[in-house]
Amino acid sequence: MRSERAALLGLAASVVAAGALAAPYEDPAARTRVTPFDNGLTILTLEDHTTPVVSFQIWARVGSGDEARFTGLAHLFEHMMFRGSTNLAKERHQQLIEERGGQLNAYTSRDETVYYTDITPEHLPLVVALEAERLANLDVSQASLDDERQVVIEERRFRTEDNPEGRLFEALMALTFQAHPYRVPTIGWKSDLEKVSVAECRAFFDEYYAANNLVVSVAGDFDTEALLALLQRHFGALRKAEQIERNPTEEPAQNGERRAVVHFEVAGPIVAMAWHAPATGHADADALDVASEILSNGRTSRLYRALVYDKPIALGAAGGYWELARAGLFFAFAQVRPDVSADEAEALLAHEIERLRNEPVTEAELAKAKRALEVGLIVGQGSSNALASRIAGEWLAFGRIRPLEERLAAVRAVSAADVQRVAQHWLEPSGRSVVQLLPPPAAPEQHP
Amino acid sequence: MSLRLAALVLLLGLGCATPEWAKPTIPEWEKSPPPPFDAPVVQPGRLHRETLPNGVRVLVLEDRRLPAFSLGVLITRGAGVEAPAEAGIAAYTAELMESGAGQRSALELAGVVDALGASLAVSATWDSIGAQVAGLAEDRDLLFDVLADVVLRPRFDVHEAERVRAESLAALRQAADDPSTLLGWNFASTLYAGHRYGLPESGTPATVAKLDAAAARAFHHRVVTPGAAIVFASGDVDPAALLERIRRTYGAWQGPPLPDVGPPPPVPQQRHIVVVDRPDLGQAQIGIGHGGIPRSDPRRLEVQLLNGALGAGGFSSRLMARIRAEEGLTYSVSSQFVQRHRAGPFAVFTFTRVPKVGEVVTGILEELERIRREPPSAAELARVQSQRSGQFALALETSAEVAGALVDLDLYGLPPDSLDTYRGRVRAVTVEQTSAVARDLIDPARASIVVVGPAELLRPQLEPFGDVEVVQP
Repeated sequence: MRSERAALLGLAASVVAAGALAAPYEDPAARTRVTPFDNGLTILTLEDHTTPVVSFQIWARVGSGDEARFTGLAHLFEHMMFRGSTNLAKERHQQLIEERGGQLNAYTSRDETVYYTDITPEHLPLVVALEAERLANLDVSQASLDDERQVVIEERRFRTEDNPEGRLFEALMALTFQAHPYRVPTIGWKSDLEKVSVAECRAFFDEYYAANNLVVSVAGDFDTEALLALLQRHFGALRKAEQIERNPTEEPAQNGERRAVVHFEVAGPIVAMAWHAPATGHADADALDVASEILSNGRTSRLYRALVYDKPIALGAAGGYWELARAGLFFAFAQVRPDVSADEAEALLAHEIERLRNEPVTEAELAKAKRALEVGLIVGQGSSNALASRIAGEWLAFGRIRPLEERLAAVRAVSAADVQRVAQHWLEPSGRSVVQLLPPPAAPEQHP
Repeated sequence: MSLRLAALVLLLGLGCATPEWAKPTIPEWEKSPPPPFDAPVVQPGRLHRETLPNGVRVLVLEDRRLPAFSLGVLITRGAGVEAPAEAGIAAYTAELMESGAGQRSALELAGVVDALGASLAVSATWDSIGAQVAGLAEDRDLLFDVLADVVLRPRFDVHEAERVRAESLAALRQAADDPSTLLGWNFASTLYAGHRYGLPESGTPATVAKLDAAAARAFHHRVVTPGAAIVFASGDVDPAALLERIRRTYGAWQGPPLPDVGPPPPVPQQRHIVVVDRPDLGQAQIGIGHGGIPRSDPRRLEVQLLNGALGAGGFSSRLMARIRAEEGLTYSVSSQFVQRHRAGPFAVFTFTRVPKVGEVVTGILEELERIRREPPSAAELARVQSQRSGQFALALETSAEVAGALVDLDLYGLPPDSLDTYRGRVRAVTVEQTSAVARDLIDPARASIVVVGPAELLRPQLEPFGDVEVVQP
């Protein structure tokens, strides 16, 4: 059995080692080939024959942040993309892929809508043909829309209306962003979902699903030349849009704390707070990532120690930096134990944020956080889907694929002073928005 | 040949093969699928297995694509061996194994792992307790030691035991906020009253309140034993060196014999209808089902294909087609045969807006009846067979996934070559076999119905199906 001293030496050695990987590591995404088509479509291909799987993804540069009149339209439209086309009945697309063992799905965020199919490579021609069919010949009928809006309203009930975390998050975004379209939930408000029309859907498609607003990203087991020829045949004639409108609204400065209370049938409260943070690609992003790790990563993180372990008032506590294309958010939250007041948890959360602002983080914390970020960057690309997502996400955000070494170097360069500086700049108490989700007023749990 | 004649010949396709451009284009979706891609799951020479003299099974899968590795120990017994009165002891023991081991306290243990950017997790399921570390390959020696401490030398410190118990009790109270968790708990208690399967996997407030360090230590001694252990590793490893280290570390381990998996669950033969009253909900959670099969049931493959056609095949399945695609009544509906060491439930789970619950229950019961009366046709079965073969390749893309699948076979005593024979066995299943399991294993007449939502609005919708019992959450 190892001695106490040996164990401590092991800990010390690991701390020293942290932050610098022993061996250089080849970035698999470095082999990505970028092929622009004449119609503005961008094709990203990353050929790798290690396993017989390919991930085919279409990234549309449109999310709920682009909605103008009806909220939830970007996400509802994502559903409509599965409701059939001129030559295929509704849901036939999914069935054809599922019957071949493929996995396909889609998701919508505030900035983009992503459609992906993971499948064995012999079916890639079918995937390309199906994607081209729905982009060229999508059927947006009244009957389809009426069915699908009910499905989305059920999804909204499931994710938000009957879900305490969903309610809390919706309130936090609406409180933090008072002008910017990020304030609106991606799934939309129910009243909008009930009223959106076929004409609105069609106009949305015409505007945002043009070739020059799409990126095709493919990673895995395929032949690049053959695939590009196939894509040229199926996607080369897609329409190009002259202009794609974006919401111009920017969030004005927040001068003073904002607060909200949401009541919900819960045993214990949830407290969340958020600050405005920079959009993706900002020079402070890496230091904010390091701050997130120090607050939240693992059982030695500050929030776990403060709220879950040392003073056990919460079942979980975490925080993080959420970078979006046009604005960002830094947040912290705690799932408070049933017999504890939300105010007590809020005070501890606020105290930990103030610590980040008032004193430099320790070298051990800094090294640990940077190491976790480095490991995440390296091991998070084990599947074709992860690689296709990484290259497409980087292309949309930066117009290039940042080399892994560049990402690692940026993380390694963050100092304790950087973390304190970004905390002081971005995490001011007067820029904070706080939401407490509490049991209904009559419930005895509220004031034990 | 005149120009006119040449044109006519061309139009009639006489005298020469139709040129490529003049052929009608067959859409890809109307072509027959190409033959499935059949490749060995594990590249030759990459997998190393052995069994140590004390019964510990070892499995090492080398894959140097990423400079990362994972290492774990799976114990082939879990919450299923608990007596109902000690429900939750497996999960509690797992949490305590992670909360201090060897010379390290809980925080020191977490400190070592966090400093490496690595992960350590110990958790219990119905059938197993699993401890696993993962990180960069260059840190494998230290992580190996951490894992050995966690599995072989957990401390069960009293103050940690009290902390974990209090946290577990609070977590149980909070988990009851979630309607789908409430459904799972009440569905289990409706089907398996009196049996361990009838209580939540993590125990109840009454059973967890009695747990302490001594109970966890005793459970660890009884269950975490060499005969129940599978040590597995995957990723960037040197197999010879790692195997030698595993032999040195786990070879001398001694413990009691492998405990029995626990008694089989009795299942009611009559329908029970239970409403868990949550007047605040606008959406009701619905569970419908009865008893199922154990993981070792020889019909498991036929059951898997049948269930793919019924409700586990996404938009190709009958339930999804009817309840979501045709009627727009839900966002998600699926069926499952939960297979454990003992027979777990057959269940359909979904949710819908409260006024539509009766309609959804009717639809599900009709589909259960229909799959008996009109079992999957040859074409339907062929689609599911193709689906499963393709999904199989996708689920085994990374070495960690392959290692996990191989360990899962060992956990249930299934043939070690099951992965390599899987596609062939799937193709060999016949319509007669899936029809037989539909008749034998699905029976809507005895399916219980459990719904979480406002009882006042649900009761009248459910009374046409039988007597309704309303319970409080």
